[in-house]
Amino acid sequence: MSILEHNGAAIIAMAGKDCVAIAADTRMGLRQQTVATDFEKVFKMTDSVFVGLAGLATDVQTLRNTLKFRLALYALREEREIKPDAFAALVSHMLYEKRFGPYFVEPIVAGLKPDGPFLCGMDLLGAPVFTEDFVVAGTCTENLHGMAESMWRPDMSPDELFETVSQCLLSSVDRDAMSGWGAVVHILTPTGVTSKKLKGRMD
Amino acid sequence: TRQCSPELADDDDGSAMSRRYDKVVTTFSPEGRLHQVEYAVEAINNAGTAVGILATDGVVMAGEKQKVTKLLEAPKSSEKIYKLDEHVATVVAGLTADATILIDAARVAAQRYAYQYGEPIPVEQLVERVCNHKQLYTQYGGQRPFGVKFLFAGYDRHFGYQLYLSDPSGTYSGWRATCIGQNANAGQSLLKNDYKGTETTSECVTLALKVLHKTMESLSAENLDLFALRKLDDGTMVHTVFPHDEVVALVADVKKELEAAEAEAAAAIATSSGK
Repeated sequence: MSILEHNGAAIIAMAGKDCVAIAADTRMGLRQQTVATDFEKVFKMTDSVFVGLAGLATDVQTLRNTLKFRLALYALREEREIKPDAFAALVSHMLYEKRFGPYFVEPIVAGLKPDGPFLCGMDLLGAPVFTEDFVVAGTCTENLHGMAESMWRPDMSPDELFETVSQCLLSSVDRDAMSGWGAVVHILTPTGVTSKKLKGRMD
Repeated sequence: TRQCSPELADDDDGSAMSRRYDKVVTTFSPEGRLHQVEYAVEAINNAGTAVGILATDGVVMAGEKQKVTKLLEAPKSSEKIYKLDEHVATVVAGLTADATILIDAARVAAQRYAYQYGEPIPVEQLVERVCNHKQLYTQYGGQRPFGVKFLFAGYDRHFGYQLYLSDPSGTYSGWRATCIGQNANAGQSLLKNDYKGTETTSECVTLALKVLHKTMESLSAENLDLFALRKLDDGTMVHTVFPHDEVVALVADVKKELEAAEAEAAAAIATSSGK
């Protein structure tokens, strides 16, 4: 089993009309043994930038801490919050710095720019892909891709987006042993963030 | 009479001797002084005043800005007051360029501590790190010391609200209220008389403005920065650099209060001398 599948994860981010959603499961396991059902994988960086980290749990947590470190200094020096595209560039840079001994994490950046949603997915070496519709990461990306491709449509409202993202995630993790055991969804709009827990199969 | 060589000359005032031992900071003078460090302090004594006061529910700091002219593009943020971390801020007296180097080092040190220990750096720890950095420049490398004094205001769960002062030698001390920069002695004596230790943040704001009124040529909202650090009930730390309009109003209030007190005192003298 690849090291990226050791702990298990399912993360998806989707764009709507002037809103963006990012959702993740909350399982953390050691191979087949489930250890935690409340493991956080999506982190708020600023009011308009969220990052989802899929992969080896220890690297997820370490990267979360190093990003917190870097962002605090960024805000103090630049006297403003970091924007989504600059943040994505930062994450990509940090991952490539470890080119020959990488973090086993595949991040998703979801944010809101003044002119609309921002989505970015990366591999463990920092190669980014920017999309207008959705990005996925984790141990059931095939499932997530299939669900998102058929369910996504442009210009969804925050409520529609929430519904779509939730159904994509729940259906995908149900066919993956390594992910599931609870889920959380964050909806970003210009007026604020709403976070909800999903009720799904706990297996 | 024998011609005394400079080394043996009577050096009660130190000026003849200091010229031989002040070129290099890493050398003690025969009287055991580091002249470069003392000269650094001199540079600060000519800088804009800064004052810090501990309140029961926060810490107040204020600083006199350099002369503001019409042509100068006003900086977005303060040249005197800087945030170091969510729970610590500092006000500067001295060479701004030197200060920004130390401020950046302090910010990084605070983040490194938080990264390692998962909690905000205790205020004294941060002060000590900055001071140890300053001390390096009094013992190694032959580089001049930093010409800055800092007042650090912070809150941590170990000791609550704290106020520290640090100088170019790398020494620091904890204070309940203190003053640095130009006319600091005058400010300090006012604090000694008027500071009780039971003041709230808003009372300390008034006291800080009174101090600056004494040390500055003319107290005006244009050339001062006013700051307060407080912890809210839910634990969040709030850094407030008072907006210009509020400062204008506060300065006006303080001036009125002081004028009234002066008038009262003058009236009392008049009646007593009239008897």
